[in-house]
Amino acid sequence: MEILWFGILAVLLAGYFALEGFDIGVGLLLPFTAERDRAVGAIAPFVLANEVWLVAVVGVLFGAFPSLEGEVLSGLYPVVVGLLVSWILRDAGLWFRRRLDGARWRSFWTAAVALGSLGLALSWGGVIAGITGAPALLGVVYGVVVAVLFAFHGWTFLAWRLPEEAAAQGASRTGRALAGSAAVACLPIVVPLAALAPEVVGRAAPSATLTVLSLIVLPVVPLLAGAQIWVWRAFRRGAVPTFF
Amino acid sequence: MDVLDLARLQFAVTGSLHFLFVALTLGLAPLVAIMNTRYVRKGDPELERMTRFWGQIYVTNYALGIVTGLVMEFQFGLSWSGLTHYAGDVFGAPLAVETLVAFFLESTFLGLWIFGWHKLPKRLHLACIWLVTLTAYASAFWIMVGNSFLQNPAGAVVRGDHLELVDFGALLGNPTLVMALPHVLAAGLLTAGCVVMGASAYQLFRRTAEQAFFTRSLRIGVVTAFAGAFLTSGFGYAQFGFVDSVQPDKWSATPLAGTGLGSMQMIGETMVLLTMLALICVKWLPRWRWAHPVLMLITPLPFIALILGWIAREVGRQPWLIYNKLTVADALTPGLTQGRIMLSFVAFAGVLGLLAVVDYLLIARLVRRGPAVIALGEQPAPQPVLTF
Repeated sequence: MEILWFGILAVLLAGYFALEGFDIGVGLLLPFTAERDRAVGAIAPFVLANEVWLVAVVGVLFGAFPSLEGEVLSGLYPVVVGLLVSWILRDAGLWFRRRLDGARWRSFWTAAVALGSLGLALSWGGVIAGITGAPALLGVVYGVVVAVLFAFHGWTFLAWRLPEEAAAQGASRTGRALAGSAAVACLPIVVPLAALAPEVVGRAAPSATLTVLSLIVLPVVPLLAGAQIWVWRAFRRGAVPTFF
Repeated sequence: MDVLDLARLQFAVTGSLHFLFVALTLGLAPLVAIMNTRYVRKGDPELERMTRFWGQIYVTNYALGIVTGLVMEFQFGLSWSGLTHYAGDVFGAPLAVETLVAFFLESTFLGLWIFGWHKLPKRLHLACIWLVTLTAYASAFWIMVGNSFLQNPAGAVVRGDHLELVDFGALLGNPTLVMALPHVLAAGLLTAGCVVMGASAYQLFRRTAEQAFFTRSLRIGVVTAFAGAFLTSGFGYAQFGFVDSVQPDKWSATPLAGTGLGSMQMIGETMVLLTMLALICVKWLPRWRWAHPVLMLITPLPFIALILGWIAREVGRQPWLIYNKLTVADALTPGLTQGRIMLSFVAFAGVLGLLAVVDYLLIARLVRRGPAVIALGEQPAPQPVLTF
């Protein structure tokens, strides 16, 4: 049971990096993108379904590994605050940038998306350094690595979703290439997580708690997966929405 | 202020902000879903415009619900790791279920609804907003299960230095939950009803060109507000017996809790009375221009009552975080420094406070501009000509 819940935690974290990774990557690339509205429109229908993977990660930490949750979050206090503020800025940028007309309003919130995305990538470097016990300075290096991988993943996503368009510098990539860049994007979290697995498993909640969680959550898993697949089927091609 | 005061103030500020946005979300979701259903059934373009207009106000409000909610979720681990250590094995379960079973689906289906206009088949698109509503209510249920556990730690026993879950059913049948949940959900309806009513009254007062649109909306708002006020008040009074059975000195222990309760009741009774009068006159109300400023003025009242009710419920359990088990002071993260809590307080309260103001201004602007231009569900522009 402990191993099952560690598996759920790992899948959610890897999924977050693989999915939200391209949203953050596109955010990072926005200052250098020719067609910003097209680029934001391309990720827009995916963002809500992607960012929620991290909400679920923290939920699973809280429910299945509670003693670890308090220790990890409070132990990484400034980094977690940075991550949250960056996340909030990125989201606010997406929700607000097209709510008023005017070039200055839109470029202000586009900058918020880009800065928030940068803050997210760098904070993840800090989190990875923190959970592996690496010195803080190495966290900056990890952060840059995460940012570069996410940017690559984001660029691949644009080249897949908007092939041969200016937003992707005219490039074109297949779905297979996108799966490849997703695998690369989740490496920074999968590797340390695999190394920490025995320690995390040992910190699981008692079996009474895990049983209740399993009984309620496992029957819903097909629905969770189905909803995610539906998002991809609905928005992988066709007109780019203009709401974000 | 010391570290404990700052950590509490941070939770109170972010929690109150979250509550203001979430309550309106909870109330507007079923209204938008009903409008969408009627549109799909009848195909009336006016109903499509209503769904999109109120839907856009709903999703603009939703944005702040998300970002304030993120801070709420992480804050337990950041500032209150004593709580996760002592009671995480019990208290963590409803919160984990909320994120996985409710919010995960809610966020996914909301994305499908917002971006699926003119893309998904109409009936499937409609199913999305109903699933958003359903999962939002499920979210409210699990969060209230968690909150009720703090008021009355049912279903758990102390083993060593922490609580362990022994009876999950007792967690769900908590006496501090059964009447409080419908009370909160009804308060959401009251809030949403008042927003729809107040916004429509504003447009009618300005002699809008959209008479039919806002006449219809005003009536929906009045009916919803009355139903909400009536149910909120009923389930509110129904709580007293349950609360007295587990927290006998809840309202008398601190003056703030008693004052919060009393003021909330006063607003509640005023709202029942006013919305009942509005309901009686609902046929003529759209044409009674003199009454429209009154309807606009009472729009903020449910929001104030929400905060007062929240204060009454949470201040009333002080100094306990988990009633009679764990004090707020003991739940604080050990070794949390003044510098750290100041940093996060300024960051969260400052950023979220500013964004909340921006969001409310945007909503006010949406109301003022009316349904002539609605970004939500616009027909997408044709593909640009490829340059390569």
